[in-house]
Amino acid sequence: MNWIPIKRITKLGLTNFWRNRWLSLASTLVMTLTLLIISTFVVMTLVINKTTDRIKSKMDITVYFKDTATTEEIANLQQQLASRADVSEVKYISKEEALGIWQEQQKNQRIKELVSSTENPLPRSLAIKSTNPSELNNINDYLSTDDFSLIIHKISYEENKAIIDKLLAITSFVKKIGWLFSSLFIIVSVLVILNTIRLAIFTRKDEIEIMRLVGASDKFIKVPFVVEGSLYGVIASVLALVLMVIGIYVVIAPLVTQYLGAGVTENLKSFFTSHIFYIILIQFLVGIVIGIGCSMFSIRKYLKV
Amino acid sequence: MIELIGVSKSYNLEGAKSPKALDNINIHIGKGEFVSIVGQSGAGKSTLIKLLICEERPSTGKILIANRNIVQLKPSELPYFRRKVGVVFQDFKLLPQKTVYENVAFALEVCEAYPEEIHDKVPRILDLVGMLKCKDKLPGEISGGERQRVSIARALVHSPKILIADEPTGNLDPINAWEIIELLERINKRGTIVILATHNKAIVDRLKRRVILLKGGKIVSDQMKGGYVI
Repeated sequence: MNWIPIKRITKLGLTNFWRNRWLSLASTLVMTLTLLIISTFVVMTLVINKTTDRIKSKMDITVYFKDTATTEEIANLQQQLASRADVSEVKYISKEEALGIWQEQQKNQRIKELVSSTENPLPRSLAIKSTNPSELNNINDYLSTDDFSLIIHKISYEENKAIIDKLLAITSFVKKIGWLFSSLFIIVSVLVILNTIRLAIFTRKDEIEIMRLVGASDKFIKVPFVVEGSLYGVIASVLALVLMVIGIYVVIAPLVTQYLGAGVTENLKSFFTSHIFYIILIQFLVGIVIGIGCSMFSIRKYLKV
Repeated sequence: MIELIGVSKSYNLEGAKSPKALDNINIHIGKGEFVSIVGQSGAGKSTLIKLLICEERPSTGKILIANRNIVQLKPSELPYFRRKVGVVFQDFKLLPQKTVYENVAFALEVCEAYPEEIHDKVPRILDLVGMLKCKDKLPGEISGGERQRVSIARALVHSPKILIADEPTGNLDPINAWEIIELLERINKRGTIVILATHNKAIVDRLKRRVILLKGGKIVSDQMKGGYVI
């Protein structure tokens, strides 16, 4: 492998970048902004997706029974449910257990005292876990039939479902806004970079002419511009990453700690560090693809060899 | 070595056919010749030069260089062809921010030459054109005649078989101009074909070498030891 042409081509590309440094800076900054926006939305979507998943996996159906339902009827239903393939676990919660859970959850002493073992309005219930959260709908349908309406007071599924649906709606909203902003900024950075490379080609007109005259091969004339373009991408992705780390650790983390507590901050940080390679990969790929794509386009359009 | 057979060239500008810039040109140039191509502005000198360095393609006809029809060269073959033909222009075409040495070395660098080759060749060529003493100067710091020498050095760096000079003395005073022509003659004596396009009568008359006179895109005369006649 002959490294000399590669070295010289890279050097020419770097020289281009430096000679047009103000324009290069503008291109790089616009690209940085684009990458930041893209990765911010990617992170937001990831966080919301993860939250939705977590809630989904924790989701179960709790069937609350009327006080008129007999223990036999409840045991019957429990058996029927347990025999279903899509049910992984059915747990009976007696009035006493329900009281225990209630008292554990309530911190306010006065509310705690509202319910006592002698005067216990809390219903008996069955907590049903499914093998797959998406099957919960079928179980819900099964329980909602008239056969059980006599003994069942309430099914909790509907409430949870509303929360999940809301989360899903937010996710899709964030995704749409993300696509909108990302494409807007991609368009802007593409235009800026196209123009920068075009100017670089014009300012180096004499040099290109001489290269042609002395018999420089095509790659020597064209590839330096591709190097220049990809440099925008590489520098921008590094800058975007640095800004993102600073943004999360210095700006967002203290705010989150102040308003949502240290636990959430830890979650956010660990989420960021565990997904950092994914974020770097996205930034790098988008940056390089835009940079190289733009320079290739400009070369085709403005560089006649 | 160089053969033009029935070469015509017309530029099509926006569909309208303009008169032919070159009309049925037939020239044969043998090894070691020094040929001056003369004629008024618009006679077709520049077009002929452009055809010879493959900058333009003829509308009809063949151009054989070393028995190869350069009209049919593929774009990927062009760089290799251009390395075998050195070209010098009136406006020197030197890079202002590079030194004399770097300007000449640049021609080798972009053609994938090894550093040892560059270190070896560039000083020798600069010495040949008498510019070794100025190797670290920028083109802005030397005279027009010296710049043209550097430009000739750059054209010679690939050891071409043919050197084409398009009005190389156009920007120079008579003394400097003559020095450049003497340099071209010296290069010619080493075996390189020199094709000189000029409208400098004094030079052509003094050279006493082959002169091809162009007028209106046609060859009017082709004399082996000619002078400048219009």
